[in-house]
This record gives sequence, C-alpha cells and structure tokens, in this order.
Amino acid sequence: MADDFAALCANELELATLRGTLREFLAADRAEFGWQQSVDAWLSKWDEPFSARLGDAGFLGLTIPTEYGGRGLGHLHRYVVTEELLAAGAPVAAHWIADRQVGPGLLSYGTEEQRRRILPRIAAGRYFSAIGMSEPQAGSDLAAAAMKAVRTDGGWILSGKKVWTSGAHLAHQVVVLARTSPMDSAHRHTGFSQFIVPTDSPGLEISPIVLLTGEHHFNEIAFDEVFIDDTNLLGTEGDGWRQVTAELSFERSGPERILSTAPMITALVRVLAGQPDVDDHTAAAVGDLLAQLISLRQLSVSVARALADGRPQVNEAALVKDLGTRFEQESVQLAADLLSYVDTDAPGRAAVADLIDVAGLHAPMFTLRGGTNEVLRGMVAKGMGVR
Amino acid sequence: MTVLSGGVFGSAADDLTDLRALVDDIGARSFESRIGHRGLPDSFDRIAWGHLQEAGLTRLDSVADSGGGPAEVAVVLRALARHAVSVPAAETDVLACWVAGRAGLEVPETGPLTIATTLDAVPYACDAAAVVLAFTHGDGLRVAVCDPADLSITKGHNGGGEPRDVVIAPSDAFIAVEGAAAELTRRGAWARCMQVIGALDAAVEFSVAHTREREQFGRPLSAFQVVQHSLAAMAGDVERARAAANLAVVAAADHGFDSPQTDYAVTVAKVTLGRVVPAVVTSAHQLHAAIGVTIEHRLWLVTQRARSWIGEFGDTAHYARRLGRLAMAADDPWDMIIGGASGSGT
Repeated sequence: MADDFAALCANELELATLRGTLREFLAADRAEFGWQQSVDAWLSKWDEPFSARLGDAGFLGLTIPTEYGGRGLGHLHRYVVTEELLAAGAPVAAHWIADRQVGPGLLSYGTEEQRRRILPRIAAGRYFSAIGMSEPQAGSDLAAAAMKAVRTDGGWILSGKKVWTSGAHLAHQVVVLARTSPMDSAHRHTGFSQFIVPTDSPGLEISPIVLLTGEHHFNEIAFDEVFIDDTNLLGTEGDGWRQVTAELSFERSGPERILSTAPMITALVRVLAGQPDVDDHTAAAVGDLLAQLISLRQLSVSVARALADGRPQVNEAALVKDLGTRFEQESVQLAADLLSYVDTDAPGRAAVADLIDVAGLHAPMFTLRGGTNEVLRGMVAKGMGVR
Repeated sequence: MTVLSGGVFGSAADDLTDLRALVDDIGARSFESRIGHRGLPDSFDRIAWGHLQEAGLTRLDSVADSGGGPAEVAVVLRALARHAVSVPAAETDVLACWVAGRAGLEVPETGPLTIATTLDAVPYACDAAAVVLAFTHGDGLRVAVCDPADLSITKGHNGGGEPRDVVIAPSDAFIAVEGAAAELTRRGAWARCMQVIGALDAAVEFSVAHTREREQFGRPLSAFQVVQHSLAAMAGDVERARAAANLAVVAAADHGFDSPQTDYAVTVAKVTLGRVVPAVVTSAHQLHAAIGVTIEHRLWLVTQRARSWIGEFGDTAHYARRLGRLAMAADDPWDMIIGGASGSGT
C-alpha cells in the first residue's frame, strides 16, 4: 500500500532504511572517535577525518551521479541524511558547503573537466569549499558586489574583497561571485560570473573575522590581482547572478534552517522525561515547542518534495527560512526556561545547559546567514502581490 | 499530497482540482447571496446545502460508494469555511453519520445532521434533520438519534455567528458504544482543523485585498514595508498550519481516524493551529483597523469562526499537554518529531 503519510514525513521505507543505516554509523563512529554532539554544528564543527569517514560510508555526494563518484540518489535522500546528521549534532562543517552547494552547482553549470576533477573528492569527503558572496559594501544587497574579474591571456585577474566567508581558512577552494562587466545601474543583476578559486592562489590573503564567541569561522579574503585560468570559470560568463540564485530554494528550505538547535531540544526532552511526575504546565510547554518544530519540518519536507518534482517553491522556501530560523532563536530561551524545571543533579542536565549556552551565543546568526530574514519577508510580500 | 492547497500562493494542480473548483463555486455563490444580510446570529444556508447535496458532497466519508474519503472531505470543509458558508457539513459527514453507524442507528439519508457531545452548544440543532446525541461514558459513548421536533431547543450562536443551540434531551433510549469516545473527539478536532485552514486563507486574502485598496498618507497601506512584513508573517504562519493540517488529512486517508498516525497528526495540528489562529486573527484585524471590527465587514465571519473552532473538541492547551507527554514517553524524541514513533516507516 502506498503510504503517503510516511512519505509526507520523509520516512517511507527506503528513506527510513537510509536513516537506520546512518544512525548505526553515527552511533558507532561517535563511540569510537568520541566527538561531542553539538548545536549549530554545520557552521562550527569542522572535523576533516569525520567528513572522510562519512564519505567512505557513502553518506556524502548523495545526489552526485555514480560516474562522478556519488551515489546517484534523489534530493530527498540527501534531505534525510542532512537532517539525521543535524539531529545527531554531528561535526559536519568541513564538507557542508561543498556537499550542499558546490556539488549541485558543478552538476548544473560545471564543465566535464571540472566535474571529473572535483566531484569525486567532494563525494569522498576530502575536498572542502567556501563560498565568497558578501563584500564589505554588499551584504543584504548582494547585487552591490563590486569584486572585479578582468580578462587576461588564458584566464582572469580577480581584484577585490570578500567577507563572512565561512571556513575559507581551512578549505581547498572558494567559489567567488565577481563582476566580469562593469555595474549597470539599470540592470544590476547582469555582468556577474562565478569562479572556482584555489585557496593557495598567489595574491590571495585570508584573515580571520573573530565571532563574539571567540571562535574563528568567518574570514575576510583579499584578492590582489589573483590569476584564475579559464578552466576555473564556473558556468557561463555574465550568467553568475542567475546561477547563484537559481537553486536558492533548496538551501533556504533545508533542514539546517530549522534544526540548528535540534540536539539541544531532543537532549532537553530526554532529561525532562527522566523527571518524576512532570506537571501539566511543563508538559504543555514541551508540546508547544515540539508542535512548532514538527509543523515547520512538515512545511520544509513539503517544499523539498515539490522541488524534487520540479515545482518552483520560491515563496514557500523563503517562508521556511524566515519561520525556521526565528524558531531556532526562540527555542533557546524556551529550552532554558524548561531546563529550570529539572533537578539540579539530574543526569544529563549539565550537558543540556552547555548546549543552551552555545546555542544562545550562536542565535544572532540564525536569522541573518545566507540573507537576512527582512529580505526574505520582502520576497514573500512580492509573492503575495503587495510589493 | 497537498490536499489542502490554496490560499495566497495558489493551488497545486492534482486530481482534486475539479472538486476544489466546484466547492469554491458553491461557496462563492453562498457568500455573495448573503452580502448585506449577515449578522448575529447567522442562519443555516439551506440553498448552499441544496447545492452541496445535489453535487453529492454531503456524505463523502459516510457513504461507502461515494467515491470520497478524508481527502475529499477536507477539500470540501476547507473551501466552505473559506467562504464562511453556514452549513453543518463536518457535523453531518464526519461525526453524526459515523456515530450513528457505530451505534447501529438509522439517520435520514438526506438533509443536514448534527452531533451533540454536550447539550449547551449543539451546532445547527434547529436546522438538522436529526440530532445525534453522543455523550462520553468512560472511553465509550451513549448514543441516541433524535428528531429536533422532539427536543426542547434554545437558539444560540458562536462568536462567528454559527448556530450553537442549547438542547434539552430525553433521558431514555441510549445505545452504548464501546471505545468510540477518543475517535469521536479526534474526528471533530480533525474536521475543525480543515475548516480553520479555510478561514485563515480567507483572513490573509482579505488582508492583502484591504491593504492594497486602502490608502493612507497618500499611498496604499501595502506600500509600507511594515505592512508587507506583517502580511508575510501571516502567510508564514498559515503555510505552517497548512502543512500540519495536511499531514492530518493524509494520516486519516491512509490509516483511518482510529490510528496512531492520525492521533499524532491531529494532536500536532491542533496545537499548531491553536497557536497560529490568535496570531493571524490579531494581524488581520490590525491591518484592517476599525472597519474590520464592524458587523457589516466580512472579516469577523472568518476570524471569529476560526477562534471558535479552535476551542472545540479539546482546547489547545489540552493537546499541547498530550503532545508533550507523547514526546517524553517516546524512546527517541527525534523519531517522534519525524512521525516515526506513531508507527509509520519502519
């Protein structure tokens, strides 16, 4: 019998089986290598050996065709693997951008040579990438980006500055958006191109932008006449804006816009479950928190299914990111209030308190990375016909 | 699988498209015919009921060869609520026929029916061809089918103007039905969730229309960014509510109302909609300002019905406690979040 209910939960037999094998892998890997479950791991937990083990076990490059070393599976397979990794708080930051954006980008726009060169290493969990989009004068208004790429013999000369480039100091490459023709104020989205820039290119200087947590994930990258040869133009010259925006619905509606604090929430529920006689008010607060998470996830899965079927979901995807990231933020204080109910010596309490602390420090980033929520709401308003 | 699709972002084309259009047409005609005649209380729309009955849409779940089931019923309930059609469609098809069937009692084959789970707020009791009394007794029900003419009925209404009558029932001739109380409540909560989605869709559509038409400070309200963001937040809440309600539709269609999947999905939907309704209602009224709180404006017909419906068949806090306890009892809370602990998948 077709089980549409399980399908709506992204939990039909094939996907449930995939979840099961991944959970077994994660439990065994964690037992052997001792990594800590973490909130917001997709930004902050860079663990190259873990990524390599994950690749070896076949959990990376899921949508990459087998001829390029991937698994040749569907978008929903990648969806469930992603959410299981996030729910488990696994250290996924090293391969995150490469697996999420660079792989699909190469499949859509890359040359055969680029695909053969890069995709097998992404699928193996041994090739890491950053994305260079924002600039000091171009944040929410990305079309204000001014980084220049000038034609030269056999390639391009890149000059300018990129900021907030997560993981660039550890990555092998940065995918950079640059202007290959000057800004035309009447057509601000034209004249952009994308480039694959090796991080060891001469003239490229990466410096840390330290977060208020003291952590170093973001970077500033200065390009001082960096030469990029023709084999590293990604896609079509002048088509960069369309290339970077075409598949944003996948990124905006993905599990990482809902589940950044999921390890904190599930750990909290487990600790509460160990309390004797939880009162009605506390039970209702847990129910309210989870209803938000479950309903957001149902919206996210419905967008993922529609995208997998090729139906555009621009408004819905923007809504997932706006609602989901605000939920991530709000979940931190809700969790702190609920933890206050738990006996101070209860097993697991201290670990949940640590997760809440880290989540609170990371929370301001939830609603701004990948584009601020205010910009998303403007897009939704446009979709509603009021802008 | 997007049974409840609709609202400001439009509907998906699927095999329910024709049904959606048909009920939408019946609803729009009902709404237009009553413009200028709406007040408190609102009255049963006999003409719209006739159209529904002619189209074969009043006994979709309860008649075996109707060709319909929970998905079709959900489409009908949502579309009728979107146009504030005053008919006991949910009461007839999802509740009264089912309870009578479980008790082995006959009900009239046509005409609106209603259900009385208490005596003080019986929907459309005066207008029904039969009132099915179904009082909880332990985990079972005591059921009787009555002709409204044999009952003492005092008219009343809910905040949205829908008939909610006070009934005095005879004390004899009840049939005991074992173990049906939970399913009756679940069916009622399920049906109200479908109706709430229709009402919220209307509230957002009305708000978009009003802010585009109404000018202040020399421009339409919709030109103000703060208004745009308020509309976007409403749309987000409604899409999240739709996703939760849609899971409840598919759970009932796949596994029936008496299943752990439907129990789980209805519980999630009730909590979700219970929190979304006050937020969307507040925003819709804020955007309409003073005109929206008058009886002559259409907004109250959807906002106040949504508010009334969300409190019926168990209030939001009740379902929030249930969901919280379900999570704390789960072997793996994450598995419960993805719908796995309710028996799907593996």
